[in-house]
Amino acid sequence: MAENQESAATVVAASDIEVDHAGLDASINEFAGPGGDYYSKNFQRIHSSTGFLPNTFNWVAAILGPVWAAARGIWGMFWGFLILEMIAWVQIGRGWWGDPGASFFERAEKQRERAAEFLQRAEAARLEGADPARFEKLAENINNAAEKSEALGAAASSEAFAILLGGILTLLAFKAVQGFYANSIYEKQYSSWRVDHKSVESGRKLKNIILSVVLVILIAPLTVYKFTVDSPLEVLNAFPERQVSAIFLDSDKATLFTELAGWLEQKIDAAAIAGAGGFDSITAGVRSVLDALSLALIGTPWPVVMLVICVVAWRAAGPRVAIFTAASLAYIALLGYWEISMETVALVGAAVFICVVIGIPLGIWFGKSRRAYNAAEPVLDLMQTLPAFVYLIPIIAFFGTGNPPGILATIIFGMPPVIRLTSLGVRGVPEPIKEAAVAFGASRFQLLRDVEVPLALPSIMTGVNQTILMCLSMVVIISLIGGGGLGKVILEALQYAAKGPGLLGGFAILFVAMVIDRIVQGAFRREDQK
Amino acid sequence: MTETVVKVSNVWKVFGERSAEAIKAIMDEGIGKPQVLERYGCVVGVQDATFEVPRGEIFCIMGLSGSGKSTLVRHINRLIEPTSGTIELLGRDVSKLNQKDLRAMRANHIGMVFQHMALMPHRSVRDNVAYPLEIRGVNKSKRWAVSDHALQLVDLVGYEDRLPKELSGGMQQRVGIARALASDPEVLLMDEPFSALDPLIRMQLQDQFKALVAELKKTTLFITHDLDEAIRIGHRIAIMKDGIIVQIGTPEDIVMNPSDDYVREFVQGISKLKLVKAHSILEPLESYEGSLDGAPRADEGADLDQLINHAVGTDLPVVITSDGRDIGVVTKPRLLRGIQGGKE
Ligand SMILES: Nc1ncnc2c1ncn2[C@@H]1O[C@H](COP(=O)(O)OP(=O)(O)OP(=O)(O)O)[C@@H](O)[C@H]1O
Ligand SMILES: [Mg+2]
Repeated sequence: MAENQESAATVVAASDIEVDHAGLDASINEFAGPGGDYYSKNFQRIHSSTGFLPNTFNWVAAILGPVWAAARGIWGMFWGFLILEMIAWVQIGRGWWGDPGASFFERAEKQRERAAEFLQRAEAARLEGADPARFEKLAENINNAAEKSEALGAAASSEAFAILLGGILTLLAFKAVQGFYANSIYEKQYSSWRVDHKSVESGRKLKNIILSVVLVILIAPLTVYKFTVDSPLEVLNAFPERQVSAIFLDSDKATLFTELAGWLEQKIDAAAIAGAGGFDSITAGVRSVLDALSLALIGTPWPVVMLVICVVAWRAAGPRVAIFTAASLAYIALLGYWEISMETVALVGAAVFICVVIGIPLGIWFGKSRRAYNAAEPVLDLMQTLPAFVYLIPIIAFFGTGNPPGILATIIFGMPPVIRLTSLGVRGVPEPIKEAAVAFGASRFQLLRDVEVPLALPSIMTGVNQTILMCLSMVVIISLIGGGGLGKVILEALQYAAKGPGLLGGFAILFVAMVIDRIVQGAFRREDQK
Repeated sequence: MTETVVKVSNVWKVFGERSAEAIKAIMDEGIGKPQVLERYGCVVGVQDATFEVPRGEIFCIMGLSGSGKSTLVRHINRLIEPTSGTIELLGRDVSKLNQKDLRAMRANHIGMVFQHMALMPHRSVRDNVAYPLEIRGVNKSKRWAVSDHALQLVDLVGYEDRLPKELSGGMQQRVGIARALASDPEVLLMDEPFSALDPLIRMQLQDQFKALVAELKKTTLFITHDLDEAIRIGHRIAIMKDGIIVQIGTPEDIVMNPSDDYVREFVQGISKLKLVKAHSILEPLESYEGSLDGAPRADEGADLDQLINHAVGTDLPVVITSDGRDIGVVTKPRLLRGIQGGKE
């Protein structure tokens, strides 16, 4: 406030405003710690430059390279330039003692030996009075080959010098880049430190220096050795898992892998038996949803279902989508895929239904409780990043094979988006609007019903849409564990390499997916426009 | 004796983790808001606020941006919990209410207008206005009737079925006012309700509001950063600076006796014509020497504007009466000084 009044009292043209160097110096000194004066001088030079090119050069950073970066807490720069400098060092190592011509010279030597051998035999033949020409010819040929090898070797050796030179130049270039940009990068760090003293590193820390030196010692020599020596130690080529296993288990046959796999197998079997009741009831629940949908889609006479789908498409997404839908349905029906397509739709529908019913409440909860969200986040990441094949196995173990386990696998993959986007939407509801509702006496439930859910709705619907797409993408994979529908058609075609049926089935899946996607998108777009 | 509706005693609000230390330092060493921020990383929202508002009063809170007005008022309906101190509303300590009672209190007795409108974007204007009633469980036809009436008050007839985003900022603010009035609360908390309005509609709403409050006997805490507005509608004004209430008084008090330079600076540009009353500038009859034959007469409650009207027709001073008795005179020099702001 006081400042405001001062500046209001003395109006100064922007061009005449003096920079408060002293204040800035103090702050930079506080940030940089040792070498503060150097950095305050250089930062101010950076501040006063307007061009793109760096106008300072930090010799310490250039010479120490990554270690300087680490000492100053700039870990991104440490790793980046550590890797770049390693590349240069490997080149230097190869050129210096890696002797790339060695193998050629070795070969030349052998060839000369053989040539000498043949000459001896030629001599022996001459003594016996036989014709030595054949052996002489051979010896000459081999000698020629040896000369060629020597020439190649010489070329390679002279190339070694070029590699060495290249390596040195690359290293110098990287050093120069570090020297030129070190202060600019450090200045960026200073700017973010000003905003956040706590989490941005400042000063020069002994801990960091030690850590970085240890890292460099661990990484650099081994890497350079592995790349430059012709036949490095076997240990460095592949992890010696058998030997390590032997240390732990002292047995020749068993490895850590076999032991662990066996143990897991037992545990899973035991868990499957112990929890059979729970798993069966989950399966039963999923099956009842699936049965209801199947009954509606397959039990109802096909003309009715077709008509309903077309009308829904029309109402939700307009005439163009309706025509496309009709054409797709005709394709499916004419090729005899009707029933099996409806099974796919039922499978996807059941999965989506369960995802939404469970996912939206979870999403709301995660949206309101930061802690719950933090706990759930890794699980959600896992659900989305795990390749489906990985969790198919435990699913088979616990739930057996068939359609319900297939739906469960689909749910694992399809649920995260609706959870994520619901919680995102709930968290994005503007605070003042919530506050207003609370100020008028709304209870937590009323707040949720009247404010949070309606305002989060667009986000929730995007989540549902994405969940639908994710579930569709699992259609083929679940046939691996006995799921039916069009996925099975594709799987069979794959097994017998049946190109024709495979392609036709593939188009059927494509059309089913596109029809569902179009209808849903169209419906959501209408909703948005409201 | 009028009943006290809002009673705020020694309320502190310091944002930040080290609030207890900060409060202690403020009390012991008297450090100000900037030092507290520097030393403890805490922001002083409200510092030791104490005041009472009787029924039917419009209590204005004014101060510059960031001086803690919104923070102070949010305590009244416990949108914010105080760091220390007590707030009594209608005789009950709000920080002791349980959730249910607190909700009932908010729904039945408090209306609030927000600085940033805070309308629900997915509801029509009418349903926005009706929301407090909906929470209270009023049926739909009644809700709609009431909200239509409230919208009429703020001159928004014809926009009932629009969405808030189709309205201009000022219109949205009026919807917010209608929403606060619709539930017919005893206490109104208004956070800069008129600041986005054009001068004409603003003046009109100020007058309307004043009349409304007087008629319905609503107790109002009214935040503004505009002293003219505070003087126009406030019965009393509290002036805040950096979380501290530096002065509380009637508009005339504040204008005639600013307690410090901060307040004085605010008051400088204010027109005193309607504010300053004859009794505060008169010269006692005893000390006046001279003839008063034919001098015009005015009541001691007459403001400068009226006094000027009396004075222009004559060279004599204006005689001031109280209950029909002459008590003093206002000479020309005194009148002119009065217009300047009461400086001697
Ligand atoms: N939730 C919060 N957390 C931390 N500090 C806050 C919070 N809310 C308000 N403050 C601080 O409290 C002080 C007072 O804010 P407040 O919103 O009450 O000001 P105001 O007088 O209403 O200003 P304006 O006229 O701009 O609305 C400000 O310094 C602000 O930074
Ligand atoms: Mg405010």
